[in-house]
Amino acid sequence: MTNLLKRRTFLKGIGTTMALPLLEIMQPHQSLFSAATVAGKPPVRTAFIFFPNGVIGPSWMPQTAGKDYQLPKSLKSLENVKSDINVISGLAQINARALGDGAGDHARCASVYLTSAHPTKTSGADIKAGVSVDQVAAQQVGHQTRLPSLELGMVRGRNAGQCDSGYSCAYSSNISWRTPSTPTAKEIVPKLAFERLFGGGAEKEKQRARHMKDRQSILDLVKHDADQLKKQLGKSDQRKIDEYFSSVREIELRIERSTHQEKIKPPEMKLPDGIPSELQEHIRLMYDLLVLAFQTDTTRIATFMVGNAGSNRTYPMVGVNSGHHELSHHQNDEKKMADIQKIDEYLTGQFAYFLDRLKSTPEGNGNLLDNSMICYGSAIGDGNRHTHHDLPIILAGKGGGTIKTGFHHQVKTETPLSNLFVSMLDRAGAPVTSFGDSTGRLTVIDA
Amino acid sequence: MRMIEIVFHFLQHPRSGGMIYSLACLLLLTNAVSANAAPPDVEKSEKQFQSRIKQFITKYCLDCHTGEEAEAGLSLEKFKTRASILEQREAWEKIVKRIQIQSMPPKDAAALPTDKEREEALAWFDDTLYGIDCTGDVNPGRVTIRRLNRNEYNNTIRDLVGIDFQPANNFPSDDVGYGFDNIGDVLSLPPLLMEKYLDAAEQIAEKAIFANTPDSYPWTEIPDKNFEKQGAVNLGKRSASFHSRGTILGTIDLQQAGKYEFRITAGQTPAGTEPAKMEVKLDGKLLKTYDVKAGVDVPEKYTLAEAIALPKGKHVLAISFLNDFYDPKGPPKERDRNLYVYEVSYKGPLGQLPADLPASHNKIITCKPGSGRSIHYCAEKILKQFAEQAFRRPVEREEIKPIVELVEATVKSGRSFEQGIQVGLQAVLVSPHFLFRIEGIRNTPRAGSNNVQNMNQYEIAARLSYFLWSSMPDEKLFELAAQGRLDDPRTLQVQVKRMLEDPKSEAFVKNFAGQWLNLRNLEELTPDPKKFRGFSSQLKEDMRQETEEFFSYIMKEDRSVVEFINADYTFMNERLAKFYGNDQVKGETFQKVNLDKTKRAGLITQASILTLTSNPGRTSPVKRGKWIMENILGTPPPAPPPNVPELEAAAKAKPNATLREQLALHRNIPGCAACHDEMDPLGLGFENFDAIGRWRDKEGKHKIDSSGQLPSGQTFKSPVELIAILEQQKQGFCRSLTEKMLTYAIGRGVEFYDKCAIDEIAANFTAKGYRFSALVTEIVLSDPFLKRQRGSQND
Repeated sequence: MTNLLKRRTFLKGIGTTMALPLLEIMQPHQSLFSAATVAGKPPVRTAFIFFPNGVIGPSWMPQTAGKDYQLPKSLKSLENVKSDINVISGLAQINARALGDGAGDHARCASVYLTSAHPTKTSGADIKAGVSVDQVAAQQVGHQTRLPSLELGMVRGRNAGQCDSGYSCAYSSNISWRTPSTPTAKEIVPKLAFERLFGGGAEKEKQRARHMKDRQSILDLVKHDADQLKKQLGKSDQRKIDEYFSSVREIELRIERSTHQEKIKPPEMKLPDGIPSELQEHIRLMYDLLVLAFQTDTTRIATFMVGNAGSNRTYPMVGVNSGHHELSHHQNDEKKMADIQKIDEYLTGQFAYFLDRLKSTPEGNGNLLDNSMICYGSAIGDGNRHTHHDLPIILAGKGGGTIKTGFHHQVKTETPLSNLFVSMLDRAGAPVTSFGDSTGRLTVIDA
Repeated sequence: MRMIEIVFHFLQHPRSGGMIYSLACLLLLTNAVSANAAPPDVEKSEKQFQSRIKQFITKYCLDCHTGEEAEAGLSLEKFKTRASILEQREAWEKIVKRIQIQSMPPKDAAALPTDKEREEALAWFDDTLYGIDCTGDVNPGRVTIRRLNRNEYNNTIRDLVGIDFQPANNFPSDDVGYGFDNIGDVLSLPPLLMEKYLDAAEQIAEKAIFANTPDSYPWTEIPDKNFEKQGAVNLGKRSASFHSRGTILGTIDLQQAGKYEFRITAGQTPAGTEPAKMEVKLDGKLLKTYDVKAGVDVPEKYTLAEAIALPKGKHVLAISFLNDFYDPKGPPKERDRNLYVYEVSYKGPLGQLPADLPASHNKIITCKPGSGRSIHYCAEKILKQFAEQAFRRPVEREEIKPIVELVEATVKSGRSFEQGIQVGLQAVLVSPHFLFRIEGIRNTPRAGSNNVQNMNQYEIAARLSYFLWSSMPDEKLFELAAQGRLDDPRTLQVQVKRMLEDPKSEAFVKNFAGQWLNLRNLEELTPDPKKFRGFSSQLKEDMRQETEEFFSYIMKEDRSVVEFINADYTFMNERLAKFYGNDQVKGETFQKVNLDKTKRAGLITQASILTLTSNPGRTSPVKRGKWIMENILGTPPPAPPPNVPELEAAAKAKPNATLREQLALHRNIPGCAACHDEMDPLGLGFENFDAIGRWRDKEGKHKIDSSGQLPSGQTFKSPVELIAILEQQKQGFCRSLTEKMLTYAIGRGVEFYDKCAIDEIAANFTAKGYRFSALVTEIVLSDPFLKRQRGSQND
């Protein structure tokens, strides 16, 4: 019943003429964990981080399961936080497999990672993936914070040509999907992400406040336009106007919330104007922003793409001057495998930096990491063979005390990754009965 | 006419393919439109499927392509009727291509079809998949409403408001479909973008219109050179430092009489008991004496509380330090009281419009309330004008009524009329009618057909302008639309010529060529710095510009598009020439340069393309071959199988093989051979160019071998010989270019029913000497450009 009510609250005020598409995942379900809503207790923060091209399994996956496992080479940098994380091996994203659609494993790797839905193979028309797990959470708990969710990335979507074997580039450059046909665009410039989170400094904020009322009137007006327009259009055109409408609506809701939410004082942070030329500076700034976003409770849901699917970036800082994707098809060439391992290790190192920062940020009786659940991984296991099982997945943080950490869990092979998502949604305050191809919950993580 | 055969003639052996090819070209050139079969008789076709084709599939495909474990995840046993084939048209188009090029069934399959069986099957698939009657009403397709992409938004704002400040540069990237970023279906509008639209609209309105409130006047700083000093003052660059009693005198020359405000930024070093006293006089008259308590490190702005009425002409502002103090025995940092003045500014004349209004202000504010004109009257006049430009069509008074009312309400709440219009402008700029190019809501149905509509005049104007300028229509196009002349072929032809000559067609080069040739992807490439010393982002930029200049030349000079393949010239500046080993070219400007005909010709040998089709550390003959098949031959190879474990085995068998040998190894695998037999020799033919496009005769110790043989039997010994072979395939190239440009022009993927239009465009423009302008004109005159399939609420 509580959940039914929640949905109603969510839809309240959406206007009489146009309702948002009803999501099946919003089926009521008894919440097992309500950490996010219990008064006085810090909220649970949820983030999903994606890296492309899979990993060299033997140096990424721990040899033994249980508590006393050794961190393998590619995960060494996580030593500091070993007791705060779980490495989970054996999970699969079955919908990322061809299933009759032929090539395109990288496009599917990104678009299935958080949706667990098999995307429609198209270069453009009828684009369709699924609603991603972060957005399912945002739709339920997003109204409690200034931003329902935050989407970060490192590289813009490719802006010409083909991305992967007949799949539109939208599939390769987005992991967060608001609706099955609308990816939630990501911010890649640190400064712009900061302004989105905290506004553009005191001067700009003052101005913004003055304009809020204008903005509300304008949104009200164009919403009416969209409504009128929709009646005159065909179905595929209507879908575009629906997107427009729901974006307008979300901003309206945000403005409404901001009027009765406590103002967050923008933290001090020096940021370059554009994209830093050094990868390391860029990636750490993005992680810093994630920490700030969670620390200030500006949002509780975030995604971060460390690279777009199939990225062919070079990593000269660790001596890798060939492209990531090219190398990932190593054909068991030792030199190439060594290079990929270096990239794996490097990216884990950056992730470790993020976790260290969360851990060193006190909150409540513990720290920010205690109150987070960060899923770090990819929907390709072995980049050489484009496999979509034995995925490299780390779940960091104690989820507000609901997750038992410090383990390497070897789950039954082919267990859907979506089982983990269902378990995470419980803790994020957005419980569902099922998600994508899930077959249950991932109970090994339960505290 | 067999579409499949035209596309794939190149892969046929000369014995069988040559004739079909000539025949196809003959048909293409003489009578393209009528060259299509009558609509397939469905019943007969179904019968053929049941009697022959199903058997073909069972016999030659199902061995591997059945059930859960089907090869490539492709299971074919479920296709039991002709209709089931058509339901999966796209999949079958790909399968048929494989049968066509004889990669499927693979050569090592247990049973292979005879030539006759194969041809019979292909004929059936051709009729079924592509059989379309071009004589009647052909489906002109239906374009999903297109959101302005980032480039279009920037350019549209530039032309609409007259300010070129690129507000869209911070927008999230536009997703790409069918190779281009202007495809309606994939241009989505997430909340992040909506937020940016709102911010941009606010910025644009503020920049375009002077708000006419005290806050909206900019502060003008009195420049250093206008200051004189009296007494112990140092007039430095950053500040005037008063070490002892002294005065600085700043002169301003006002162009307009009126009320002005003054502001002084100052700080002190404290000493003694009182703060520094700063006296401000204007034209000898005391205005105010300030106690400057702010420290020298954190100076404060001291603004005079009231504006002062001043006549036009020269005025002198005098700032003096009154209470110097020095105590050598005081605490170390509090011995010497000094005053520092950093900035002296003024603004005005308040309440009057400044002399240097932005041009956009006067362009938009064409009516001011007063002397009998109401706010409503003026707001409506202004916004109707603006909305008609912004929505790219006539606008009814009724339609903008809510916006006009919003302006009125804003003004009535105490803000200036200009502020009201700013709000109105914002409402227009975030309206779906501005952000989307909406078509089909006010069309006149075409006589005699229920399903096809003509585009209306204003829609044609916008299609033209976004196609060739990536921006809104100009006055001329609006005028022609108003006169109803934009469906007249002669008028369209004249307009295309005019538009291509206009500097705004630069956008077509950047956006079409940049995506057709993937030039934009150069940005994300980083060749291995150890192997390619001297490669810089500047060089990358120059490479891109070379190809853009080349494209632009062919477009502006209206050359034959075949020159894209075989031109004996290119464009270089000094830096790029040096890179190519040419020391004749001097200066920063790109100029036309004749190529060494024994080494380079056309697009393929330009450094941009050669770099784009390489890996960071080495060349990739496969990528180059694929690029040529896609962009020059118009025969894109099918996607590779989902996983290629065979390669490992091949690599293991010969671990130290050269690239050429490795490639040869995988061509031994039947599943790979079909495509790589063509792709690899095409790419290897350009091995004389390294991974950043420099000529090389050797790689390490090994002499480069760029000879090869194509599946057609044609052989070549060098890159230019291969280019000469490619040039003979210009029909394929023209078709491919037509498809790509049509996709870009209309913003949707090309469908099977577009075959009629593509045939016609290609035939007509190649008959006109392959002229670039003829291609563009034929696209503009085609049905997919000028018509649309009527939709319903449920389409």
